[in-house]
Amino acid sequence: MRELELYFGPQHLGMVGNFSITLSVEGDRIVKATANPGFLHRGFEKLMEMRTWIQDFPLVCRINVIEPDSMEMVYAMAVERLAGIEVPERANYIRSVVLELARIQSHLFGLWGYSNLLGLDTVAQWAMYHRDLVLDLYEELCGGRVYHIYIWPGGVRRDFPEGFKDRIVKTLHTIGNSVPDYDSTFFNNRLFYDRAAGIGVVDKEEAKELGAVGQVLRAVGEKFDIRKVEPYAAYDKVDFDIPTREDGDAYSRIWVVRDEMIQSVHMIFKLLDQMPEGEVYNRVPNPFKWKVPKGETYVRVESSRGELGLYMVSDGGDKPYRVHFRTPSYTHGLILLERLLEGASISDVGNIMLSSYVVAPEIDR
Amino acid sequence: MDKTLPEKIRENFPNADVSSVEEERLAVTVPKEELIDILSFVKNLGFDHLVMVSCVDWIDEGQFELVYIVTSYVSYNGESSGKGRQHIIVKIRIDRSKATFRTIIPVYQNAEPYEREIHELYGVDFQGHPRLTPLLLEREYPVPPFRKDFDSRNYVKEFFDSIPEIEEEK
Repeated sequence: MRELELYFGPQHLGMVGNFSITLSVEGDRIVKATANPGFLHRGFEKLMEMRTWIQDFPLVCRINVIEPDSMEMVYAMAVERLAGIEVPERANYIRSVVLELARIQSHLFGLWGYSNLLGLDTVAQWAMYHRDLVLDLYEELCGGRVYHIYIWPGGVRRDFPEGFKDRIVKTLHTIGNSVPDYDSTFFNNRLFYDRAAGIGVVDKEEAKELGAVGQVLRAVGEKFDIRKVEPYAAYDKVDFDIPTREDGDAYSRIWVVRDEMIQSVHMIFKLLDQMPEGEVYNRVPNPFKWKVPKGETYVRVESSRGELGLYMVSDGGDKPYRVHFRTPSYTHGLILLERLLEGASISDVGNIMLSSYVVAPEIDR
Repeated sequence: MDKTLPEKIRENFPNADVSSVEEERLAVTVPKEELIDILSFVKNLGFDHLVMVSCVDWIDEGQFELVYIVTSYVSYNGESSGKGRQHIIVKIRIDRSKATFRTIIPVYQNAEPYEREIHELYGVDFQGHPRLTPLLLEREYPVPPFRKDFDSRNYVKEFFDSIPEIEEEK
């Protein structure tokens, strides 16, 4: 059969996000896939070298549109480590709550894309609605729905407003009460099983070899989670499980995502219960004259897609000398995806891509 | 008694400069000829997760610093232990005017996109890399754009100011 070259994305109905893959196909089988990123390259790492430490905050959240909070967190952690700033206990709890809310809304957004792709539009609309409820919380907390600029070196920008805890609980109850609906319409749906089971299978050895993290790795039975391995914020104060599956296919990955959301909801309830009173912000020096001591650091957090790291070098000046983000989608999208697509069918491209949760802005930066 | 990690590295690589950046982050600077050996060595010690490959442009010293950060995949089994937090930051210096080096794909496969990116943004040539094709950028640049001597403001002025204004139809 003749081999054809097919351009899949960025303007393709089956493609979510600004990402493109060049496929060599025989019939509808993929022989070779070449990831083709760069449609969203804005050179943030270079821009950050030209701005002061505080001016970088409005930039850093824009690297990942879907989950900006983990980006802010990793940058704040790096600055705190280099400058030796302590974070008050209450701020650590607030950070954890905000990061878990971010995980929930990010997973719901992922679920929206994924169920849309499978043609189960009802679930997609629910997921988008529930994500919006979480965004309403963010709007009340910091004024922004998508970009929050809330986590800050030395703590968080401001304390929870009056009665905010109750509204978090109410929203999470609304989402939690619809889990049976999600289950019967989507997760236990035969259509989902038929489309996703056995698709994009990766085994444990290969996943580790290709640098997989997050739900891709947890779907092969590896309990690798930065929140447990190297706890940050208040994650060592609460008890939670790391959901895993064994099969390593798209079906397992989406189930891991579902179980993670439920863990996050329970975790937020515990964090809100234990949250101490006190300050939320340790003052940093005058931002216009702030010089961070010379040094280098590597910090990492668990974002909704896996390990998110930041390597930062300071030369003792008022601007960072070098910032480099290690984003989870980078290895997933540029090397794992290419391997998984070999031998797959064209109709499964989006399925494989979204189940391993490749987010284009994170790759391009 | 087991030897500590810095001792093991010092014993096998006498030329390596081992220092602790902070808790659980070990910086190892080696001569560039020994990089593949030391990466294979730490991989055999269980550091099987290449986190990232980065590049820092030390323009005043006329050198690029290539940074390889490795750690280990640890399965959480009910207790938070210190294992798995240890990172090794392996660094080498290469000459800025003659920026060529070898690829490390034989040791860590997932170095491929990182090396492609550094090739594109810093102009470092990785010999033995299967495809050093453009990754992120749209067009050719006179100087690789992430180098410190790339003047972004001037580039924007020259490039975007040169676009002719649209004439209104008469």
